[in-house]
Amino acid sequence: MMKKKLWAGMLSAGLLLSLLGGCGGEETTQTRSPEEEPDRVVFEDTARKKEATVGIAQDLDDSLDPHRTVAAGTKEIMFNVFEGLVKPTPEGELVPAVAESYVISEDRTTYTFTLRPGVKFHNGQTVSAEDVAWSLQRCADETAGSSLVEAFSAVTGVEVVDEKTVSLTISEPDNEFFSYLTAAILPKDYDKQDTAPVGTGPFRFVSRSAQDNIVLERFEDYWGIPAKLDKVTLKIMENADSLLLSMESGAIDLCAHLTSTQVEQLGEDFYAAEGTMNLVQALYLNHAEKPFDDLRVRQALCYAVDREQIIDLAFDGYGSPIGSSMYPAFGKYFDDSLSSYYPHDVEKAKALLAEAGYPNGFEMTITVPSNYQPHVDTAQVIAEQLRAVGITAKLQLVEWGVWLSEVYSGRQFQSTVVGLDASTMTARALLSRFESSAKRNFINYSSDSYDALYARAQTTYDDDTQTALYRELERELTVNAANVYIQDLADLVAVRKGLEGIRFYPIYVLDLSGLGWTGE
Amino acid sequence: MKKRNGCLTAGLILTGFMAVFILLGCFWTPYDPTAMAVGPKLDGPSLQHWLGTDNFGRDIFSRVWKGTGATSAIALSTVALGAVLGVTAGALTGYFGGWVDGALTRLNDAITAFPSILLALVVLSLLGSGNKYHVVLALGLVFAPGYARISRTAYASLREANYVQSARLMGAGHGRILLVHLLPNTLYSLMPALTIGFNNAVLAEASMSYLGIGVTPPDASLGYMLSEGQGMFSAAPWYALGAGGVIVLLVFGVGLVGQGLQSRDRGVG
Amino acid sequence: MKYAARRVVAGLTTMLLVSLLAFVAFDLISGDPAEIMLGTQATPESLAALRAQLGLDRPLPVRYLDWLGGFFRGELGISYQYKQPVWELIVPKVGVTLCLSLLSFLLVLAVSLPLGLLTAGRTGRGEGLRTALNQLCMAAPPFFTGILLSWGFGVALKWFAVGSFPDMGQNMWGALRYLFFAALALAIPRAAMTVRMLRSTVAEELGKDYVRTAAARGNSRTQLLRRHVLKNALPPVVAFLAQTVAELAAGAVVVEQVFAIPGLGRLLVASISNRDHPVVLAIVVILAFWVVLSGVIADLIQQRIDPRLRLGGGE
Repeated sequence: MMKKKLWAGMLSAGLLLSLLGGCGGEETTQTRSPEEEPDRVVFEDTARKKEATVGIAQDLDDSLDPHRTVAAGTKEIMFNVFEGLVKPTPEGELVPAVAESYVISEDRTTYTFTLRPGVKFHNGQTVSAEDVAWSLQRCADETAGSSLVEAFSAVTGVEVVDEKTVSLTISEPDNEFFSYLTAAILPKDYDKQDTAPVGTGPFRFVSRSAQDNIVLERFEDYWGIPAKLDKVTLKIMENADSLLLSMESGAIDLCAHLTSTQVEQLGEDFYAAEGTMNLVQALYLNHAEKPFDDLRVRQALCYAVDREQIIDLAFDGYGSPIGSSMYPAFGKYFDDSLSSYYPHDVEKAKALLAEAGYPNGFEMTITVPSNYQPHVDTAQVIAEQLRAVGITAKLQLVEWGVWLSEVYSGRQFQSTVVGLDASTMTARALLSRFESSAKRNFINYSSDSYDALYARAQTTYDDDTQTALYRELERELTVNAANVYIQDLADLVAVRKGLEGIRFYPIYVLDLSGLGWTGE
Repeated sequence: MKKRNGCLTAGLILTGFMAVFILLGCFWTPYDPTAMAVGPKLDGPSLQHWLGTDNFGRDIFSRVWKGTGATSAIALSTVALGAVLGVTAGALTGYFGGWVDGALTRLNDAITAFPSILLALVVLSLLGSGNKYHVVLALGLVFAPGYARISRTAYASLREANYVQSARLMGAGHGRILLVHLLPNTLYSLMPALTIGFNNAVLAEASMSYLGIGVTPPDASLGYMLSEGQGMFSAAPWYALGAGGVIVLLVFGVGLVGQGLQSRDRGVG
Repeated sequence: MKYAARRVVAGLTTMLLVSLLAFVAFDLISGDPAEIMLGTQATPESLAALRAQLGLDRPLPVRYLDWLGGFFRGELGISYQYKQPVWELIVPKVGVTLCLSLLSFLLVLAVSLPLGLLTAGRTGRGEGLRTALNQLCMAAPPFFTGILLSWGFGVALKWFAVGSFPDMGQNMWGALRYLFFAALALAIPRAAMTVRMLRSTVAEELGKDYVRTAAARGNSRTQLLRRHVLKNALPPVVAFLAQTVAELAAGAVVVEQVFAIPGLGRLLVASISNRDHPVVLAIVVILAFWVVLSGVIADLIQQRIDPRLRLGGGE
């Protein structure tokens, strides 16, 4: 039975091959099945203008519940499905979304939101004050060991004031708490967010097929500017190597986070847009491991590593060098002078090594998560550069899961190349982990002056003073050679010609709502 | 039957050539295979760089050269390890029989039914990935059951042979019989499996590295280079073609030798 | 049918052992599902809570028995990563991989049976070239052939769009057309091996005395093959083909990566690195079932062809 079917399939496959072979020279790239009647093809072609296929490197193999989502890649896409009371703009500001306006009390602990009228969930329900209060309480819920959204542990009360007003109180004033209010607003008591998420964003979730695709469709009742595309299919291309073949054969219209080598190979059908990845890429050093407990050794590494060469060799010149745990998109917090604090200087590096007692260098291991090609490439160049000062660096590529348990939680490593991101648009997100008692201080950085400065920054509510303190913290990390800071990677996006409207944000998201085909 | 054995000759010539190539590569390659920017990036084949350069400006020919050595060394050690483990298990079970035989055969079946990639991956994760010795150990374990099966059959069929019985009568111990009397005779039936095993090991190492769980950069491995080359196929097809072509040549040569040996034994052209 | 029953029991034991091995192995390797699920946001408290929720804090034997019990009730659990029932997750993937392997197997048969039977025992000019070509095909690694095919047919000729594998339910022909190229890459070396195997087995049989006698009596080659040779030559070939079926499924893992086909292989590789135990276990058991099943079927077919084997009990 099965066999017969398959034989027929094979025969027809052969037949199709010969048919297709006849029209192989045509310019149009077909993603539709060719056996549809010819008169429908025209229709399909205009319909195609309303759809796009976007390639993504990571599957959304995570909970789709926005309060439980962990993977950056999942958050990046689900940004289109969910909204909070406020939401970020490409300029890095927070504007009201589900809320229409807000008032912050004099003592900076109570936030009162007036809801935007008529905002609808994808399931058709209208957003009520109960939904909002329920969502905020859920973020603060501690039944899973710690609050779902970490900053919400400071929340002391959520109250429904009237049918369009909700207020929220936190225990202590906190300048940066506001940025956490981008946390998604969800319909109350809906319990299938894990697999069938419902939000208020410009796109609604349609389906997910593991390791294959995710389908989003335009939400017709969206309160704001509606999305231009009717439907976006996110195609999972975990194998970066076959990605390019897919783009060239016409299967994919847009793909972000490409390498410069990939971009250079793009055919005439594509153009490249350049944004920033908003990552602090560095050779992170474990301060609890010899010889990285010695300041001179860390400084020697900083002098030995040539950022410009890394960016030239591995990234064809795309990328911005950094000198501390902050990237340029953060505007006022970013101190550009730190990027050139350690100029490339082999002799100085050798001298420092000799002074520290390693005149002939030493052997070290760089652990790299194998699924992030940019980091693997960077590590390869670093290993070559360290060879010039006598250090033999061995690369150890590990799976992401192993990296998490051995490097990140276990802190059993010498050095690692990764990029750390900011989950919210706050300087704190990038600087808090270097406080000596921080749970996420996986490099075991320990400095009393840093701790003191950091504590002061947390209790300062004047924006200018706080900014100055944060910049001082950055400088401290540089001077102390906490890590070998390298760059903020460029985000190279390949877009099929005719598809316009890609926008870049200072956080890791892919906004699909502005995308549309021109020439309709 | 006196007949020219074309397969064997061609295979030996090709394999010999590859062996010389690999040995030479241990001491000298035109460029340092990991040195970057020795030429322009992604440059096509030229007199200086026979197979062009990769995205770091490394010489691909030197990398392929070194990589062939690494891949062959891994394949050879894998076969050796797999054979030692397999023959030991096969000899014990085939010769003694009994419940040990039953249990080991079951275990053997289970390992064979385990997807080989998964088995290799589990062993690699246990040992720590990205180390070529661990790759050898993982693949060796994957390959051992095949050899165990073959040598078990060989030992079982020989254990009652006349010369074994007379050795036993003359007071030879089990160890001596197993090693001195039986081993040489069973090795013979293992020969074709060894050449095929070498080829499978080359392919297995390459596919594991292709999946990113085998040998890792900056060490040159043919499989990893192939996966990198796939990503640059339009800009630098010579990268993938070079790495892939060498794999094919290597396997082709040894395959011809294997075929030649087999047909010589059987006397069929 | 006592033999068949014994064979099935042996197969089941093997599968049980496989699942146990997988379970223990996954307990030993580094990488903790809870850590992966919580990523860089994890705190010791949330990790502990999650482990308790997943039941990972219980001892290994308890977890295994629990899983086994669920398995026999037809419950494969919920994927750690996707939060979906494992069944729901893998059923479509099983279809894809099954089609890929079967298509590939049919290609192997379609090429190797006629070639092997027609050329067996015939030596002549071009023999060396033929052997060399055969060896060359055997040496073609599927992932390399796959790269060449996907570039040649996908990019240069645009006969199919790499990475645009259609939904099998909606567009069966499109899916099969797509799979055809992957199946081809997978089939080439196996077909070459099968040809070689067939040729040598049939040639050996053709050289035997009883066949020569029959030939001397004036039987044609076709008659010889049909009446005498095939019956005796087929059992080892069937065993070899069964092994081929199993190997094709394993080979699919790599080829699925090359062609970006959403099959079991890709899900398996991804689930292993995510330490998504329920999914990995389910796939491992399915693959083991596939291997065991092809073995059992091969044994039973062999017996039908040659009842003498039944006496040997298959050992």
